Amino acid sequence: DDCLTQRMMSHPQLYIPGQLNLYFSKKAFFKCAIHSCYSSLVLFFIPYAALHDTLREDGKDAADYQSFALLTQTCLLFAVSIQLGLEMSYWTAVNTFFVLGSLAMYFVVTFTMYSNGMFLILPAAFPFIGTARNSLNQPNVWLTIILTSILCVLPVVTYRFLLIQLCPTINDKVRQARATPPPPPRRTRIRRTSSRRSGYAFSHTQGYGDLVTSGRFLRRPAVVSWSPGFPPVGRATSGFSPMGRSAGYSPTGRPQSSKVPDVEATSLQMYRAIKDPPL
Amino acid sequence: MLASSYKDEDGHISVSGSGAAAAAGGGSLRNKKPENTAFKQQRLPAWQPILTAGTVLPAFFIIGLIFIPIGIGLYVTSNNIKEIEIDYTGVDMSSPCFNCSQNFSWNSTKSCTCSIPFQLDQPYESNVFMYYGLSNFYQNHRRYVKSRDDSQLNGNEESLRSPSKECEPYARHDNKPIAPCGAIANSMFNDTLELFYNDPNGTKVQVPLTATEIAWWTDKHVKFRNPGGEGSDLAAAFQGTTKPVNWRRPVYELDSDPNNNGFINEDFIVWMRTAALPTFRKLYRIIQRRNNLLPTLPRGNYTLEVVYNYPVRSFEGRKRMILSTISWMGGKNPFLGIAYITVGSICFLLGIVLLIIHHKYGNRNNGADVSH
Repeated sequence: DDCLTQRMMSHPQLYIPGQLNLYFSKKAFFKCAIHSCYSSLVLFFIPYAALHDTLREDGKDAADYQSFALLTQTCLLFAVSIQLGLEMSYWTAVNTFFVLGSLAMYFVVTFTMYSNGMFLILPAAFPFIGTARNSLNQPNVWLTIILTSILCVLPVVTYRFLLIQLCPTINDKVRQARATPPPPPRRTRIRRTSSRRSGYAFSHTQGYGDLVTSGRFLRRPAVVSWSPGFPPVGRATSGFSPMGRSAGYSPTGRPQSSKVPDVEATSLQMYRAIKDPPL
Repeated sequence: MLASSYKDEDGHISVSGSGAAAAAGGGSLRNKKPENTAFKQQRLPAWQPILTAGTVLPAFFIIGLIFIPIGIGLYVTSNNIKEIEIDYTGVDMSSPCFNCSQNFSWNSTKSCTCSIPFQLDQPYESNVFMYYGLSNFYQNHRRYVKSRDDSQLNGNEESLRSPSKECEPYARHDNKPIAPCGAIANSMFNDTLELFYNDPNGTKVQVPLTATEIAWWTDKHVKFRNPGGEGSDLAAAFQGTTKPVNWRRPVYELDSDPNNNGFINEDFIVWMRTAALPTFRKLYRIIQRRNNLLPTLPRGNYTLEVVYNYPVRSFEGRKRMILSTISWMGGKNPFLGIAYITVGSICFLLGIVLLIIHHKYGNRNNGADVSH
């Protein structure tokens, strides 16, 4: 959903990664290869060391070839699912269903293939009978699976977090900003007074013709209190309130936001206040 | 401002006039636009995992705080398991089994025995399990692992008479099919180990060993079945087959107990479950606990009597006997405990380091101008 037209228009920098080929380069492949090497070593050696000279809790053998294979492939599935969850930016209902569903499907298929029924139909094809039942009810097997999955995913999370903290890309900034949406940017129009424009560029509206001719723009209404003897000079921004008919109105005729009184005066308004009859 | 079917921020669609008319009218002009549902326009509500400091750092700390106690628990449990290993290969000249290992030959009818004394420093309580261990024995070699016939071992009559090709060259001998066929069965471990307790007053008491309940239940009751069905005469059922080349006795004479004879002999089943690593141990016997007052194996001197049949010197292998107690995490293996403590500490330290980095550098980049 991040290709919403308006969002791309408001953040044109999001096109930069594509232009610079940031995500599909030799450097990216190299990082991928390093990560795979690390994961492969973890996925083999942790089950290897965990099953070395290990036994079941009822004393029977646990370190057989079939249990080792099952343990390694289950560790792999969990590591891949967690990694996939991290890569997925949007956990919609559909995505969640398929990721968790594939994990569930793995267990369904494993238990089916290692069941009595399938073995009795074709003994030579399903020699792993009983392995899932006997292996996955051991606590140290599950502890090994948890350890391996977390160890596989830990460097990825650390690396990404460090990148986000130290050199955030534009994507990260956009996502962070969207996570905590900033206040909408105030489109503060620079208050060059409407007197600077002749108004004739906005040809579809009435324009400012009568403002120009009335000469009102040159005077400020007297809302500034001044003590006798000291005519107020210079900037008196707090007193300014646009009272002209076209002040506060955009060319399209709709009233602007209520932030108009906050606008600081421009240099054109720094003149001596002339008392004017209130309008 | 834009086209009339522009969709704004909150997802409401204003369908253009022409589109609605065409859809409503169902006219001749097919509307090729996909429907404006949330599913088809990929606007489903979604949760976005963003790696902020508020999620990652607590996660690291929580993982560290959970893993370290688990690791300590595992390590302490593993240390409380009592285990003793006795190597009886007979490599040294001073070892009692040295003569047996040197004088091995395949056709000798007289078996060689040797006895090794050892002592237990602590009493062993509850059930004690007796294992034999082999080293440098690659039961995980691919051609070795495939050299078996599971349908023959399941009692299939056809496979009994004509074993599968995977068993070659251990499938036929003397023009008769071998039962059980294959290299795994052929290399079955056939040493006999017995345990004697040397009483303080000098008598040797044999420690009773149980030979059943050592294989997996699924193996014994589903995977391995004798041909000819239950309760049949095994010698007759195996007629016309011959024993494996390296065996001294045929398969129907493995045990006098008919529930432990033939293919369902538990020592045979345990051996057929090939090990994953070149150094492995397999359950041999169980020493049942007698009662809750006396330890199963009291402290003292013991003797291990070996009928030395199995040759391992030729491939530099080693044989050993292991006595071990068992806990909820299995045998004595400190690796998992140490690994959990290590990973938990690393996580915790990483959490602290990332917290420092986040405080120093992270806030500088937050709230940076995303706007133009």
